[in-house]
This record gives sequence, structure tokens and C-alpha cells, in this order.
Amino acid sequence: MHKETQKKGFTGASKYVLDDELARIVNISMALEMPLLLKGEPGTGKTMLAHAIAEAFDMRLIVLNVKSSMKLIDALYQYDTLTRLNDSRFGDSKRDVSNIEEYIRMGKIGQGFVSDERVVLLIDEIDKADTDFQDDMLDVLDQMEFDIIEIDKTIKAKNRPVIIITSNAKKDLSDPFLGRCNFHHIAFPEPDMMRRIVQIHFADIDRELLDSAVKTFYRLREIRGIEKKPATRELINWIRALKADPDFRVKDLIKGEVPFLGVLFKKSPDYVVAQNAAARFRV
Amino acid sequence: MRYALCAMRHASGVFMFVDFFYLLKKSGIPVSPTSFLRLQKALGMGLINSLDDFYTGARAILVKSERYFDLYDQVFAHQFKGAEFKEPDEVELSEMARALLDEWLKDPKGLAEALGIKEEDLLKLSPDELIKYFLDRLKEQTEAHHGGSKWIGTGGTSPVGHSGYHPGGMRVGGVSRNKSAVKVAMDRRYRDYSQQGPMTPSQMGEALKRLRNMVPFGPKDKVNIDKTIYETMRNAGEIEIVFDRSLKDRLKVILAIDNGGWSMEPYIELVQTLFNYARAQFKDLKTFFFHNTIYDYLWEDPPRRSKPLPVDELVRLDPETRFIIVGDASMAPYELMATDGSIHIEERSGRPSYERLKFIAKTFPHAVWINPKLAEEWPYTRSIHHIQEIFPMFELTLDGLEKAVHHIMRKN
Repeated sequence: MHKETQKKGFTGASKYVLDDELARIVNISMALEMPLLLKGEPGTGKTMLAHAIAEAFDMRLIVLNVKSSMKLIDALYQYDTLTRLNDSRFGDSKRDVSNIEEYIRMGKIGQGFVSDERVVLLIDEIDKADTDFQDDMLDVLDQMEFDIIEIDKTIKAKNRPVIIITSNAKKDLSDPFLGRCNFHHIAFPEPDMMRRIVQIHFADIDRELLDSAVKTFYRLREIRGIEKKPATRELINWIRALKADPDFRVKDLIKGEVPFLGVLFKKSPDYVVAQNAAARFRV
Repeated sequence: MRYALCAMRHASGVFMFVDFFYLLKKSGIPVSPTSFLRLQKALGMGLINSLDDFYTGARAILVKSERYFDLYDQVFAHQFKGAEFKEPDEVELSEMARALLDEWLKDPKGLAEALGIKEEDLLKLSPDELIKYFLDRLKEQTEAHHGGSKWIGTGGTSPVGHSGYHPGGMRVGGVSRNKSAVKVAMDRRYRDYSQQGPMTPSQMGEALKRLRNMVPFGPKDKVNIDKTIYETMRNAGEIEIVFDRSLKDRLKVILAIDNGGWSMEPYIELVQTLFNYARAQFKDLKTFFFHNTIYDYLWEDPPRRSKPLPVDELVRLDPETRFIIVGDASMAPYELMATDGSIHIEERSGRPSYERLKFIAKTFPHAVWINPKLAEEWPYTRSIHHIQEIFPMFELTLDGLEKAVHHIMRKN
């Protein structure tokens, strides 16, 4: 079954609406075996894409959540010195203390390399780490191997993972990094696309509610001076809140009332700004 | 139909595409020869079968920042606007192009022969030079078009026919969908992300990240417990203490905004919102206003009427305060230089603004001027020139803001 999908190329997954453009880019990147770098504002489904690819091709997904303090080595492997010291002092485990290899644990990239099956490797929010990390990581992903210094062993990738890298920053990554990736910027979905996304999450949604909720949502996004604009996730949660409220009527939205503003705007200065702006919606 | 697809792939893949590549490069998009060859590979693998595919595929492979997407759209629309169905008599040409493409991809020897140079010489060429060489031959062929016999391996019919060499002149085949790719390109969906122009409200979050760098660091005097444990274990239990830098006291910031002229109008709210959001990380943030340039007073209230602060009073503030001026610095030279320069009569004190600005720069060694006008316009305004003598000036763009923050955080 999944062989068939692989042949046909990526066309989407059950909870993910894929636009043609992105589907093409995913397929080209997979065929060229190149990492795909995705940028775009939060909530445009960058991370979801990796999940969707894994689902569509029935592959295991390994997620590396990049953190600012992270060193490349953490993503490759860890030498668990603490356990080894403990074992050597108290000696009550079955591990062989003189064999360091028993204390090496694979990091996320390492796991992707040693896996017997081809996996999807999602490297999430690469922009959080420093430039050295980014460049060194691409070296590893380029050569598909790394060394474990402690035991002088080279780990080679059994299968080249499908690599998806996401970045929230508008700032560009370094040139050598970009040179080795394909690139796509996911624009915020157009209202039409957004309606389809909402419909996937709420199959039975009332037409009137859908239209007016999406319309209000885009209107709220237009408010100036907002630090964190509400994204897809906020919209879905907001609609869920609206549907759950027995007192809510679609007419309220059309009249310009916006309940549960706090679901959409989560920073208090944003909330205040939005509240003032939303008050002006009323006609 | 199937054939048209094929033909398009090969004909445009080599000839049209070289042109397209150079046009992208000329328009300022940093496209690398490596990525160019990678696109050839994608074409060769049959991954790109329509102009739609080409539009997205080439963009994903060649263009590495959404800031260039708008430019790409423009170049693409320009290049492929006249694209229409392929005429049958060009069939053989596409065959030749296919042969050429294969040579390029798989057989350096063949390519060397075809181009009439030695293989060693060919290998010495960088991809960039190779492309250039290739392009030169292409030009040569265009000129010697009718009855020429110089071209690679065929009887001298050039694929580059009809209306000459230049973009738009060549015909590309494709399916009827090709119009949509061009149309998409012409929509210029990415205009907002374009690098050109000053900061927009949509870049707010990103700009904030720049400001977050305004955090001073102290000496390395804080124990990093995790690292200490790890290093100690590596040392087989011998204690090894690892230190990190500790955070120092937070910054004081004064923001002085020119809210006088209409030219500043779009940026006042933006800059104020920006710094207000960043407020939490500052020890103190004061905002003042002025019109065009600073004379004897700064104003705490935007209408500049009720809450004046004499500039002389600034000496009482901490000299470590970061002083950030936002203004277009564009005014008549006398406003800056004359002893009674101010256009507001009550502000005339006998000291030119130029001297007052110098005084501020001396009081606060960490001061910058941020200008919403783009740097390329600066040389044409004399007052900007003079103010640049006093304050380091940066554009109100993401890059400019980053540089300004970097400058202001320097130790001396």
C-alpha cells in the first residue's frame, strides 16, 4: 500500500491540506535527496508537513527540537558518563564498564542514521541554534556520517532520511547552509485555503459559522501593532470554543462581536490592542 | 501533449534556462552555479514536467530566501510571459537539446569535445566558468544563426530562433497551464517579504528579536552545573568546574523620535510599539519627541507642548544610557546650522542644533541615529551628511536595526 503512495509522490495526509506548490517541492526534494528548508510565520504548518509526510509514506518520524543552548554533539550522540562512573564505583549493572560503547546513546540525528528503515527527520526551529551548529549539522547531513570520538567509530547512515528543516526567523541562514538545502517559504494561507483547513478539522461545521469566523479572523489579523498575530492553531481553538458555547450565535460575529478574544491573542498587550480594535468592528 | 511537455523540458532546460539563470543573477538574486547544476539534474531526472513545476521547482532549488521571491516572480513573469505552444518544426531542436543536456550531466568528456576544449581544461573550469563558456558559445551561435555550422553536433540549426537571443524572444513550449505559473508570478504574492523598503508592521516580531540582543553580559562567574557534572564524570570523578557568563544589570534606553513631518508619520507608531514590547528587558525606557532636529528641549508628550525636558538636563542621567534617535534627518541646512534654526520661534536659544546634537553624543557615548530613509538616498541630503558626522546612522530596516543594536552594545 505505501509503496504505491511512494511511487505516486506526496499528495497530502488525513489532517493536512497540501497545496500543489508545496507538494511539488516536497517531491523534488525527496527525489534529489536534498534537505528541504521551510520558512514562514508560526502556524503555517511547517512542522505539520513533516508529520504529514511521515504519515503518507508510512515512515517513522524523528523530531529534533533545536534549542538555543544545543551543541551539535547532543543531536548526534551522548556519552553517558554519569552512569558509567556509577557502574564503575558500584558495579551492580550488567553493562561492561570497560566498553564505552555501552554508554553511548544516540541523539535524534544518530537515531535517524542507525534506523533500518528510511525515516523522516524533522529538524524543528533551526534558527534557535547558533550558526556553527547549523553549518556543522549540514556537514553531517551532507556526508551522512559522523564520528564518535570516545570510541573512535564512524556512524554511517543506513538510509538517507527525508530531512525537513524549519525556521521561524526572517533572517537568512548562512550561505553554505542554504546552498545545501532546497527552500520554500510557506505564506500564510489565503481565506479559501483556510476554509478548507477548518473543514478538515470540523467536518460538520455550519457554513455560516465557517464563513463569518474566517472573515473575522482575517480582520483581526489586520490589526496593526500586534506582536503575535493569531495563526491557524488559534483559529481552530477559537472555533472549538465558539462551538462549545451554547450561548453563542453566528449573528453575533456578523454584528461585529468577538467572543473569546483571549483564545486568539495570548499576549496581554496584544489582547488589549485587539480588544480596542474589535470594539470598533461593531456597527 | 506528452511530447510538448518533453520538448519544453529540454529546450527550455538548456537554452531558455541559462538565460533565465543569468537574468536572476543580474537582478541581484544570489543564485549559485551549484544550485544551477542541481536544477539541471532535476530536469534530467524528469521531475519537472510543466511550467508550473518549473516555477516552483526552480524557485525551491535556486532561491534561498523569501525576500527574493518577489524579484523571482518579476523575472519569471518577464521571461516567460510570451510563452506559447511549441511549433512542430522545433521538434528536432529539442532532440538536440536533450542530447546536449545529457552530455552536460553525465559525460564531461563528451561535453569537452562538444565545446571544443580539452577535458583537462574543462575540469579546471569552475561551474561558474563552465556556464559562462557555455553561454558564450550560445551567443556565438545566435549570431551565426542562418546557415551557420558551428554549433554542437548538429547541422547548425539553432534552437534560438525567431526573435533573437534576448529574453522574451525565445519560444517555449508547455501545456496551457503555463499561463497560470506566469499569472501566479505576476501576482507578486511575496511583495511584502521583499528586502526593499523600510520596516513594515508585519516585520515587528522579527525586529523585536533584534532588540532582544540588547542584553549586556558580565564576567564568567556563574557555575554551569550540568556542564560541571559532565566534565567531572569525564574526569573520572575529579572535580572540574565550568563557569558561564552572568547577566549584568539591564539597560536604560532613551528613545527620541522625530514626530514632526508627514514623512515620519508611518514610522512613529511602529518604532514606539517596537520598543514598548521590548520594554520588559530594559531597566528603564523613556520616549521623547522632537521636530526635525533637537534644539533646547525634548518633549515627553507627542504634541510637544506640555512636558518639555531641557536638553541640558540630560547630563544628570546615567551616561551608560543608550540614546536612540529615530528621524529622517532631512531638513533645510539652516535648521541644523543656524543659531536660530528652529522653525518654532519659542525654541530659539542662540545655539545651533548641530551643537546640541554634539552635546548629546558627548553625554551618551552609546548613541545611534536610525533613519527610515534608505541609505542609498542619504548622500543627496546635506543635513543627513552633517548628522552622520555626529551619530552613527543606520537604516530602519531589519538589517539596519541589527547593526544599530550591535553598535550600541559595543563596549567602547
